[in-house]
Amino acid sequence: MTPAAPGPGRGDARGWGLLAPALLWTVAFFAMPLGVMGVYSLWRRVGMTVVTDFGLANYVDFFAKSFFVESLINSLEVTVVVTVVSVLLAYPLAWILAERVPPRWQRLALILAILPFWTSYVVRSYSWLLVLSEGGILSGWLQALGVVDGPVSFANNRGATVIGFVHFFVMLLTLTIYANLVQLPANYRKAAADLGAGPVRAFIHVILPLTLPGIMVGAFLTFVLCIGDYITPQILGGGRELLLPQAIVMQISRRSDFPMASAMAMILMAVVSLVYVGFARWLKLERV
Amino acid sequence: MRFLRAAPAIAYAGLIYGFIFLPVAVLVLFSFQGSRVPIPPFDGPSLEWYRAVFADSRMMAALGNSVVVALLSSAVSVILGFLAAWGLARHDLRYSRLLHGFLMAPLTVSTLIVAMGLLITFNAIGIPKSLLAVGIGHVVINLPLCFAILYSQMGAHQANIERAARDLGAAEWQVLALVTVPMLWPALLAGFFLSVTFSWDEFIIAFMVTRFDATLPVEIWSMLRTGLNPRTNAVGSFVFLVSVAGVILLDLILFGRKRN
Amino acid sequence: MTFSERMKNPVAAAALIAGLVFVGPAQAVEELNALVWCDHTDPKLIEPFEKQFGVKVNLKEYEGTGNALAIVEQSKPGDWDVFVIDGVDVPRVADAGLLAEISRDQIPMGDIFPQVRMEDVTVRGGKMYAVMEKFGYNVIAYNKTKVDPADMRDLAVLWSDKYKGRIAVYDYYIPVMDLVALKMGMKPSDIAAGKLPAMKAELFKLKENSSMVGEVVASTTALATGEADILVGGGEWAVSVMQAENPDLDWVLPDQGGILWSQSLAIFSASKKKGLALEFVKYVMSPEGQARLATSSCFWGMPANRRAGEVLTAAEKASLRWDEQDKFLAKSHRYFVPDSELDGKMLDVWTEFLQH
Repeated sequence: MTPAAPGPGRGDARGWGLLAPALLWTVAFFAMPLGVMGVYSLWRRVGMTVVTDFGLANYVDFFAKSFFVESLINSLEVTVVVTVVSVLLAYPLAWILAERVPPRWQRLALILAILPFWTSYVVRSYSWLLVLSEGGILSGWLQALGVVDGPVSFANNRGATVIGFVHFFVMLLTLTIYANLVQLPANYRKAAADLGAGPVRAFIHVILPLTLPGIMVGAFLTFVLCIGDYITPQILGGGRELLLPQAIVMQISRRSDFPMASAMAMILMAVVSLVYVGFARWLKLERV
Repeated sequence: MRFLRAAPAIAYAGLIYGFIFLPVAVLVLFSFQGSRVPIPPFDGPSLEWYRAVFADSRMMAALGNSVVVALLSSAVSVILGFLAAWGLARHDLRYSRLLHGFLMAPLTVSTLIVAMGLLITFNAIGIPKSLLAVGIGHVVINLPLCFAILYSQMGAHQANIERAARDLGAAEWQVLALVTVPMLWPALLAGFFLSVTFSWDEFIIAFMVTRFDATLPVEIWSMLRTGLNPRTNAVGSFVFLVSVAGVILLDLILFGRKRN
Repeated sequence: MTFSERMKNPVAAAALIAGLVFVGPAQAVEELNALVWCDHTDPKLIEPFEKQFGVKVNLKEYEGTGNALAIVEQSKPGDWDVFVIDGVDVPRVADAGLLAEISRDQIPMGDIFPQVRMEDVTVRGGKMYAVMEKFGYNVIAYNKTKVDPADMRDLAVLWSDKYKGRIAVYDYYIPVMDLVALKMGMKPSDIAAGKLPAMKAELFKLKENSSMVGEVVASTTALATGEADILVGGGEWAVSVMQAENPDLDWVLPDQGGILWSQSLAIFSASKKKGLALEFVKYVMSPEGQARLATSSCFWGMPANRRAGEVLTAAEKASLRWDEQDKFLAKSHRYFVPDSELDGKMLDVWTEFLQH
């Protein structure tokens, strides 16, 4: 991971030259657009035109209009539930993969665990629709078991959105937590046991703290990806409520209100940044 | 006794694997559905929906667009990522930590925001919505990945080999072409393939900055509006198959060598 | 300079790659860019025109005039040639200078049903800017085996508990809010900022009774698959297209009246292919084009040209209720057209409705 000492030593000019294309690209197509959005968020759309007077009107609007604030609250609720449930489901699986599966089968088991990751993003949500909708697989099973009398639907609501998300993030988190677990020296656990700690105490006092960074990196990733996702709630949520990304896209597609959409995007970024600060002690992105 | 101890673990793993594979299995199974609604009872197998997908000219055009964008944007990402990693790893530049963080920054921002930023900026300066715009966006999100992968592989060991080559009189381009690139090719390939899969699957940027030349995910999205439809199952299963083939190929390239 | 040397230079290499992106496939045929509702994306409608003129028609679909104007705004002048737009929205779009005049003698004006010629909106300052092509109703669609058809004649039943959880709502604020106005005993044109709080309360109650809110295809599918038994804002457009799959679907104009939807064809003033665009308009307005449009795969609707009746089958005409149109038209109101400030407020109310 540590970069080597300077190589040919023909001065910094060459280094900057090598860096330049990537830097320029990131400045032009990432940093600058963010800046443009920042500026737009201070302008205002009136009727069919954008008025370029600076002000905080869009931000005031966001917090004054209940449906905007609710969309943010909905997003936070969904994201927190998804993150917690995904970690709780993924950790034991990662543990089983790392500790219980014979080493020669681990890679296969891991690949299997993340294989559906590679179904198309859009199709993944759709395939949950097949399972959850009226007359779908789940409805059929419950009928066969006699739990319900007729076809039932589990699609088109927040629960469906959460299931769709959890499915995706369980795979992601299994991968990150597994990667963290296998790096633990086995003798840590053994040492803990030798000192007389039971398996539960060994886990709580030794294994969990050691794997916490892995969990946190995965949880943060889950949070960022989940709170910014438009597709999953749009396909599975059934239009029963709006999450923040849906509200943002609505500003663009229904009324071309770029200033308001920009302000909302800034608010989303601010939320993610706050969460990043909360997670910061476990994350060291510049060392990836 | 051992089995009894393992039973809960097996049961748990089985449950989670079931959860993970349930939608995919349903997706693939009902892509062979005979009738027009992909819910039970299963009345196939039929290849009718695959035929319908491959006969759909819009779908095939979208497939072509996706392939072109994925290959070209990934190539650009790998090249830019490689140059930047090489520059940062081999030169003791000022602010290098800051630069490193800056290059990684797009990963911490939602793709939705990256997409909006591009849409608004392109709109303001008059770049038309097009595949080129999608490709530019995909490089933005894939460049950090390629950079990170390559940077992590440019350690002291590699630097020493390069130095040895230079000491033996190799010109700088020879070091690059004959030493560095061959040495890093698994990482280069990994970066490339990872970018290809991300680009191939990316929706929101492609959705926002294209007009007619939709990529495959965008075309599937507009097809989704027709609700449950075995054609969507068929195209979804096809995409899954292609991606899995890619993953297996990559796995063989990267890990198969070590085993031999 | 050899290739390897050239590739050594990162800038040259990048330029080479970028060049590959720019070149792309050669432009083989002339292309016509049309901004349309989804009924125009049916190959059955488009392909005959493409074959006849040896051109390619690029279609971008949208729902709701606001969305279309957003797309136009995010494009460059000249990007678009043909515009399929709600009839009632022609004045504001024409007044904004977006549309080109269409010469009357090119269009079979005499064959268009007089009630839907709507020249009060398509003609501005003596110039005609759009041609009505298709119309129908945003009323109540339902499954006649699941609900009592007699109930469907009164909008108020949707607000009672009788069909709670069995209702889907079409996600287009204008016609549905117009229906809400009818339910409240107002005309759609009575909608004003002061009325919005009361309308909001009605919408919230409706939301509590409904199981989903969806755009054209989603709401149609919900009705056809039994996810919902009633579609508020539905009509022949949602029912006829699904009758092959679900013959139990029906629709009715409630006693309070119906909301008339109307689509028109227009040509963008900035179009560089006005000649071809006009040919497209003429094709869609021909009896054959009209019949194909009326029965298109995304949604059905009455053709504006009555001579399409010579091409449509008896079953298709029955499904469209061809013979009852006079009665329906007499009981229907056009879409309310708010000014942009009221439009923004209505959209806010609609967003609150979605969020409720």
